[in-house]
Amino acid sequence: MRPAASVLVRVYPARWRARYGEEFLGVLEERPLGPFDVVDVLLGALDAHLHLRGLGAASEHRKGFTMTLRLGGYAAIAGGFLFFIGLAAASALGDAGGVFILMFAAGAAALLVALAGLSAFQARRYPKLVWAAFVLPAIGAVVTIIGVLGMVLVGDGRFVGQWSAWYVWSFGLMALIIGSAMFAIATYLTHSLSRPAAIVLVVSSVALVPVGMGLDILSFIPDTFAPIAMGICALAFSLGWIALGVSAVRLDNPGRLAQQGAN
Amino acid sequence: MEQSRMPELGRFAEPALLILVSLSGGPKHGYAIMGDVEAGTGRPMGPGTLYAALARLEERGLVEALPPVDRRRPYRLTGLGSTVLADQLRDLAAFAALGLRRLEGATG
Repeated sequence: MRPAASVLVRVYPARWRARYGEEFLGVLEERPLGPFDVVDVLLGALDAHLHLRGLGAASEHRKGFTMTLRLGGYAAIAGGFLFFIGLAAASALGDAGGVFILMFAAGAAALLVALAGLSAFQARRYPKLVWAAFVLPAIGAVVTIIGVLGMVLVGDGRFVGQWSAWYVWSFGLMALIIGSAMFAIATYLTHSLSRPAAIVLVVSSVALVPVGMGLDILSFIPDTFAPIAMGICALAFSLGWIALGVSAVRLDNPGRLAQQGAN
Repeated sequence: MEQSRMPELGRFAEPALLILVSLSGGPKHGYAIMGDVEAGTGRPMGPGTLYAALARLEERGLVEALPPVDRRRPYRLTGLGSTVLADQLRDLAAFAALGLRRLEGATG
């Protein structure tokens, strides 16, 4: 990436960059930038600031678009935090961790909201890819919540047919984790949100799957270290979601817009 | 037919027309449009001007973006864009013919 081109793109408003930034950067990097191009881009950035300001007052569609981004961002931050605290505390406390398993369910619900909000934002450009990646983690989040409610209501007894609530919860959790990896891959491909955060979410999700399924491939890990390994994976998973949420909120932060406009 | 009139695009009316003509030959991404316009008019179109005009054309439904290939995103004319462009070019052709007739009358 050429620094001059990158700097020129950052002169544009964040909303404009969310829509045209990547392809515009590609155009700037296709050829050497002369003085004519620099002046033309600066005038274009000024026009984009004025043009978007006018649109912001008039466009209900754009308001809805920024609302989904903001809602999805905050939900991802809350969901990542609640997911880790709830899972870690409930695992550590066992039967005494009832409150924390509900906190975990709240985290799953927040991640469902985050999935919907961030998918709606990214689907403006890549609807098929994003909504395809939305389905599995959304189903996983719903089933996880149902499983938690089942554990609270019926404990270890049968919940759905022959399945216990714990089994339903485990099934939902696996779907949520695998689906989160798919959602993160879609996010990485769309360039819309933080790509490093998407990578963290993919890697941690892939690492969590064998841990969560209790596969023997992890037998090389000493028993005393296994809970720590699972904790690290779960923490990375949560941090991936939180980082995605932060990148969404920063993208829609007026303060950041003003700061970038001043730079 | 009111909908097929060229929307008010201010100082971006001419770049917008050049972009529509370029896309009338098939979908193109930004850099290809710039090259096509320069080849056709002999004048370069800056990237800032290109995207300011593209954003307006997309907003008004005259062009639409296609799925990107790497970082390049092609654009193509919509049905409305084709209609508006055809009307605009007919108006320009009639205006050019009028000018030529007057010149011939003045010099003949």
